[in-house]
Amino acid sequence: MSAGRLWPERLRFDLAATLVLCAALAIVPIFVQSPYTLGIILVSVYFAIIALAWNLLAGYAGQFSLAPAAFAMLGAYTTALLDHYWHVPLVVGIPAAIVSTALLGWVLGKLVLNLSGPYLALTTLAFAEIARVVIGNSYEFTRGDQGMHVATLTQSRVGYYYIFLVTLLAVIALLYVLLRGRLGRFMMAIRDDPVGASSRGIDVVRTKSIAFCVSCALCGLAGSLYGTFSQLVSPELGLLQQTGLVLSMVVIGGMSTLTGSLLGALLVYLSSEWLRGFGNVQIIVFALLVILFARYLPGGLWGLVAGRLRPAAKR
Amino acid sequence: MLALDLLVNGLIYGCFYALMAVGLAMIFGVLKIVNFAHGEFFMIGAYTYVLISLKLGVSPWLALPAAALAGALLGWLVERLLMRPLYQGYASWGFMKDEYAVVVTFGLSLLLINLVDKTVGPYSFQGPPLVDIGRFPLGPVMLTGQKAIAALVAVALMVALALFIKRSVWGLQIQAVAQNRLGASLAGIDSTRTTSLIFVVSGVLAALSGALLAPLVNPSPDVGTFPAIKSYVIVVLGGMGSIWGAMIAALILGVSEAFFSVYVSYDYRDAFGLIILIAVLLLRPEGLLGEKGRTV
Repeated sequence: MSAGRLWPERLRFDLAATLVLCAALAIVPIFVQSPYTLGIILVSVYFAIIALAWNLLAGYAGQFSLAPAAFAMLGAYTTALLDHYWHVPLVVGIPAAIVSTALLGWVLGKLVLNLSGPYLALTTLAFAEIARVVIGNSYEFTRGDQGMHVATLTQSRVGYYYIFLVTLLAVIALLYVLLRGRLGRFMMAIRDDPVGASSRGIDVVRTKSIAFCVSCALCGLAGSLYGTFSQLVSPELGLLQQTGLVLSMVVIGGMSTLTGSLLGALLVYLSSEWLRGFGNVQIIVFALLVILFARYLPGGLWGLVAGRLRPAAKR
Repeated sequence: MLALDLLVNGLIYGCFYALMAVGLAMIFGVLKIVNFAHGEFFMIGAYTYVLISLKLGVSPWLALPAAALAGALLGWLVERLLMRPLYQGYASWGFMKDEYAVVVTFGLSLLLINLVDKTVGPYSFQGPPLVDIGRFPLGPVMLTGQKAIAALVAVALMVALALFIKRSVWGLQIQAVAQNRLGASLAGIDSTRTTSLIFVVSGVLAALSGALLAPLVNPSPDVGTFPAIKSYVIVVLGGMGSIWGAMIAALILGVSEAFFSVYVSYDYRDAFGLIILIAVLLLRPEGLLGEKGRTV
């Protein structure tokens, strides 16, 4: 197989695996009747969207941002504020969240354009904390830590479940098209060797900006949808712990693969609900797992499984 | 005389910030990574101090060295178990060096916070003060006994650290490894042991900072978060990896924060440092006294 075909081939395998997982998710409501359990799976799909978005930025474009949860919070607040002050219907409010977070992501991307590694992590962390502190302290405008009430799309939990699932599929399709094309290859080139990439004529500035824009917009969309589902948005959506959770999902599932992010999000969130029964030890377990995976299994769970299923999928 | 009061209190907090930030700057100096678990070194120190003096009834003055010991142990373990791959030929497939460091230290931070939350409890403790002197006026400035004593200890520690770095053989080795790891090892310096030493020293300093502040901040498991964020601001402001830059920047941040919280906005005092961080990274990325080379 020529080297040029290797990547589309691997990506197609990756897509097929994510679609299998999505198909499994689609039939879940047939077996799961309890609204509580369905709600938990729904939240894990919310995290899967954020994990996929973060993975695009960190895993494919090599921009290790620590702000995904902050963007979910900003998206949720965009919709909530529009609804609260101008009674903007959600069909406008949710796309508005995508637009506003895309713009903010573009600005953040511009700000951190020349920063590498630890500097990038610090700046995005500072951005995330500023966003949270500002929203949490603007009592008159956002009602601070009390949170805001948001309208909802539908009262039906199964309905919401499928809204989230369709969104997940749309996100996966978008990422697939993006990664298959030139832009995705440019991103990976920049991740692997920024200087080499620009010397081959790749517009590093533009590619990074697009990666930030898309990733942040997807986080904003997820946050906005989640806000309308829970009908309450609060600054807690943007806590650094939430970013830690997203990070651990992607690392445990497997960086730089679509399936890894999806699998990681589902496994981590579902097992965290299960571990709750053993006395809230879930974050301890996941933090330990993240360290162990980063240290000994950088390919993540999916790296292990994919290696068995398809030897050619190895790096 | 509000201004003078703010200045003195700002300088005192600056000393505590400096204790933490210098360790972070030293780690950055040798490994070019940010230790996102640095706040948890602080937290471990605060908890060791509080638990030993409250539960065992030991004098707080003996709890202080115990906290330092806990910090040293944690620093040593972190370096031994997690940081070695950064410089000992770890085939980084799937992970780049910077990303590995962010992931493991971020994970460690979450791990330690929740471990303490689970084993000790989520509530905060009132740390016993080192001396039993309430508020007293010193000229126009109001101080408490604990604040004054803790600030004196912090200053003494900083002086000791400065002498250690400047004069002792180990300090010179640390400087050499920070300048050039390969060159240092060619000159016969054991760079692995020096890196280990740096983590031990950073752990001790952060833990002592936590122990000294414990009576003032009433530690809860996430007590380290804000001191850690402040030390990120400080190392960026001082120039990443610059020890002297970190000391100066810590005092600047302490004072300007004190003034900001009174004259501008108390609610946004925690955002203030972060705005400085972003501004410095964008406008003067080498910091006050830093080295070049943080851009790609």
